[in-house]
Amino acid sequence: MNSAVVLAERFRVPLCLALVFGVWQGVHGLAIVPDKFFPSIPAILAAFWQMLTDGSVLVAWTTTFLRALIGLVVAATLGVALAILSDLSPVLSRGIRYVSDVLQPIPPAAFVPMAVFMLGLGVKLYAFVIVLVTVWPTYLNGVAALQSVSPVQVNTGRMFGLSRSQLLWQIRLPAALPQIFTGIRYAATISLIAVIVSEMLAGRDGIGFMIYKKVNALRTPEVFGLMFLVAFSGSALNALVAVLRRSMTAWHMGMMERRE
Amino acid sequence: MTAILTAEAMGKAYGGRENRLPIIEGLSLSIQRGEFVSLVGPSGCGKTTLLMCLAGLIAPSEGQVRFMDRAVEGPPIGLSVVFQDYSRSLLPWKTNLDNILFGMRRVVGMDKAAKRNKAKEILAAVGLTGFESHYPWQVSGGMQQRVAIARGIAAQSELLLLDEPLAAVDAQTRADMQDLLLDLAQKFQQTCLLVTHDVEEAVYMADRVLVLGPRPTRVVREVVVGLPKPRDQLVTREDPVFLHARHEVLQLIRDMRHRKASA
Repeated sequence: MNSAVVLAERFRVPLCLALVFGVWQGVHGLAIVPDKFFPSIPAILAAFWQMLTDGSVLVAWTTTFLRALIGLVVAATLGVALAILSDLSPVLSRGIRYVSDVLQPIPPAAFVPMAVFMLGLGVKLYAFVIVLVTVWPTYLNGVAALQSVSPVQVNTGRMFGLSRSQLLWQIRLPAALPQIFTGIRYAATISLIAVIVSEMLAGRDGIGFMIYKKVNALRTPEVFGLMFLVAFSGSALNALVAVLRRSMTAWHMGMMERRE
Repeated sequence: MTAILTAEAMGKAYGGRENRLPIIEGLSLSIQRGEFVSLVGPSGCGKTTLLMCLAGLIAPSEGQVRFMDRAVEGPPIGLSVVFQDYSRSLLPWKTNLDNILFGMRRVVGMDKAAKRNKAKEILAAVGLTGFESHYPWQVSGGMQQRVAIARGIAAQSELLLLDEPLAAVDAQTRADMQDLLLDLAQKFQQTCLLVTHDVEEAVYMADRVLVLGPRPTRVVREVVVGLPKPRDQLVTREDPVFLHARHEVLQLIRDMRHRKASA
């Protein structure tokens, strides 16, 4: 192990960016795809800067990010609540399982047209689509996590006199939390996808709608710029989840690092 | 002496009518206050199932268990278990001290500060001063085990059930831990029931050894170990009384194994 590796480790983000941009510029230079459809990085940056200075992109981004964030919070809360209910009642668990088996494979885009008819083009539509596709990873991970809590831990709690609800709050939920967060992290990405797709298909604002408009106007540099912004938003959402996870399950992260 | 735990004609079977699998059948035993009793038996005879029944963690199918003159219908107050799987039994999101305090949640007549002091005192007694705010996964396996034992003692239980607590450690640590356990039992006047598959350990630790038969198991022999305390790893193990008791138990278990092999 030498200093080159350490350096690469420290500067991994700029290095990766440089690599991506380098390849991008290389491909652009070969002119396989017409410049109109595959703009250069400077052209994209210029177009993005333009949208940034006239304020349009910031408004759209705030709208989109808040939708994804609120959707995630609602869906995660609902998912964990449903997982707890399922854990208490096997009958309910089977019921929800049938519903999730039917609904989970449907991509968000397929919900939108139906939701437009049912709910119109407003907040209700977003709430419906986002929650319906985002709730499953948290729910399914929550159920699996609660089921896989070690019987030794549960017996330890029982032996020290915990009631059923105390077992849930003091033993099973803390033990399940790391895996619940795996679900929430996955849900964060899905929430953003659902927002962008809804905005593209049925929106009047937000980044998704903006992409749709720019595509129709053949403004490719802007489209690519917005695409990069979406990627950044996904990372930001993940980072928020990671902060929450670190504060709530620091013990688990410490334990995992130690095992390596 | 008074019996604090008794089992009368207790049985436990799994499965339904057609594929019934009896684990325990017609088992009776009695533990007196202040005793150190070992339970040994051939491997796979249902020791852990028995311990779970005695602790009220699973319900027997027949007969009953009585603890402090009451029928056991769930984990009773005053009975603690040190589980074999100590690394899972200690809660990884709690520090060592908090794990001990968790074990003291049903201790009455002590305020929070007094409990903390007591918990620290017991951690010191198992040689873990300075590791109070470590998490269990930050200390070695042997130390985790001592935390688990400390938690069992800290619960101030009438009876401590030990489920093969030393099964996973090396021989040297094992000997030290045996002496530590005996010391703690003496110091805190703790009645103990030790489940083990190690005959030498069973005899070395106990006032009385209960030998279990093959599955479906019951107590087939009681061996009283008339050895003075404190015990000593060298002197005790060379004592003719020890050797005689060891011989008796080993012989019994070997016979069971032979009968099983020839059956």
